[in-house]
Amino acid sequence: MDGGVYFGRLSRVVEALRRFAGKTVEFDPIRRLVNWGRLYSLWPVHVTTSCCSVALGAGMGARFDYERFGVLPFGSLRQNDLIIIEGTLTYKFAKRIRRIYDQMPEPKYVIAIGACALSGGIFRDAYSIVKDVSKVVPVDVFVPGCPPRPEALGRAVMLLQEKIRRSKVSGEPIETPIVVR
Amino acid sequence: MEAGRLDQVVEKEIYVSVGPQHSGAGHFRMVLKLDGDIIVDVIPDPGFVHRSVEKIAENMLYVQIVPLVEKVTHVDASNLAMGYVRAVEELSGIQVPERAKYLRTIACELSRITSHLYFFGIFGIFLNHSTMFMWSFGDRDLFLDLTQLLTGTRIAHSYILAGGVRHDMPQDFPDKAMKVLDYFERKLEDYYKIFMLNPVMIERTRGVGVLSREDAIRLGATGPVLRASGVRYDTRKDDPYAAYDKIDFEIPVYKEGDSYARVMVRFREMQESVKIIRQALRDMPEGPVRPKRMVPRWPVKKGEHYARVEAARGELGYYIISDGKAKPYRLKMSSPSFRNLLILKHLLRGETLADMPAIYMSLDYWAPEADR
Repeated sequence: MDGGVYFGRLSRVVEALRRFAGKTVEFDPIRRLVNWGRLYSLWPVHVTTSCCSVALGAGMGARFDYERFGVLPFGSLRQNDLIIIEGTLTYKFAKRIRRIYDQMPEPKYVIAIGACALSGGIFRDAYSIVKDVSKVVPVDVFVPGCPPRPEALGRAVMLLQEKIRRSKVSGEPIETPIVVR
Repeated sequence: MEAGRLDQVVEKEIYVSVGPQHSGAGHFRMVLKLDGDIIVDVIPDPGFVHRSVEKIAENMLYVQIVPLVEKVTHVDASNLAMGYVRAVEELSGIQVPERAKYLRTIACELSRITSHLYFFGIFGIFLNHSTMFMWSFGDRDLFLDLTQLLTGTRIAHSYILAGGVRHDMPQDFPDKAMKVLDYFERKLEDYYKIFMLNPVMIERTRGVGVLSREDAIRLGATGPVLRASGVRYDTRKDDPYAAYDKIDFEIPVYKEGDSYARVMVRFREMQESVKIIRQALRDMPEGPVRPKRMVPRWPVKKGEHYARVEAARGELGYYIISDGKAKPYRLKMSSPSFRNLLILKHLLRGETLADMPAIYMSLDYWAPEADR
């Protein structure tokens, strides 16, 4: 805090208040309220890394309609909290993805879809791709498939919501990590 | 220059980077050199989805390459596979049963319709026309259901293989297809009223990004972009494959060469595709659809061959060099999207920044196909 240089005592009080507030928000009613707010406003970044964007496009369409879960692609990075990595990530794109991820405000989540994002898929022998997306950005949910069906992507969003429901306001998980059933 | 001297301020050109994180630019980046609102120059920066398909193909069996080339344009999978399989078949003289040819035609045309519907949805989003996005993506799912019924999967179906197709169509496929086609033909009239006659759509695309006939030929345009500039050229007519030589259909050609004409060509192509599927279902002969034993190692002869097909985005060519072994020596793809990228540079010069989406999107640029 800048004020700390001039108002030493006051800053200590403010710090104590912040610590108190930090602990208070983790109590159940407040934590649930904050998490509830986060659950249904997962706005993904408008970035398409590869061809699995077809599955995402179908999911945004009339039949599957992820807007039911509050997933609405949005242009501005400052208001996004979700990156959906669709398929192969090339080295050229990996730099941009990391930059996009760093620009997003906390808390932020990543869903990686497609076999290519998990292990390279059919392009595993290629010289220009990142075989494991989690080396670039921390991934919350992986969806296998080449390409995955839109239903699978909808399920990934639901799993992510489950994860948010079971995490602290600060973003740490409070219970055992969920297992994909 | 000192600060505050207005008479010394020189209006300079500025550079604006568009993409890859941009609502709609997709996996593509271009740097626009702007003078005020006018685009002076364009520096395209492709290669975000370069996955070295041609190099991987050299280490794969011929049959394994079919799903590989389909990944290049996921929305248009059957046409991509058709071109590759055509090259292999013509190189080694593999005969295809008559019924398989018709099934291939149906798969290719279903693929073309889904691809064009995808284009209409994205183009609608670009022009802030959400209705078009919802309608076309909703109707696209009907065609994906048909594709699933025919081939087994929604998008990446390795249906077309050398020597025929993977399996015959299910018995209830013609009835269901006819139902969807009847519905879709009625729906296309609504598309025309809601989207093509929309004042906003007409204002933003008519007379924007005009590509003359001479320029289209000189720059090597292909597919709907070429046909919107008044050139009657379609591989399905000029170099027929599958069962296209036995089917009666028209090639929509428009003379205007603007964005509106390019969208209109795709709209008319969907109508023609419906006609083609109808005829193929009606005229399809009985018989086998593939050789009795499908071997994983295709008998490809030594030599080299170039074959082309009409994919949804234009003429797609494959050049295969085979040394008679199980894997190709070299596989070269000539993709329509990359050819149309050259035109983007020509079209955007002199247009305003606000017209950029309408021009860029009307080329139906599919980055993974261009980068490969």
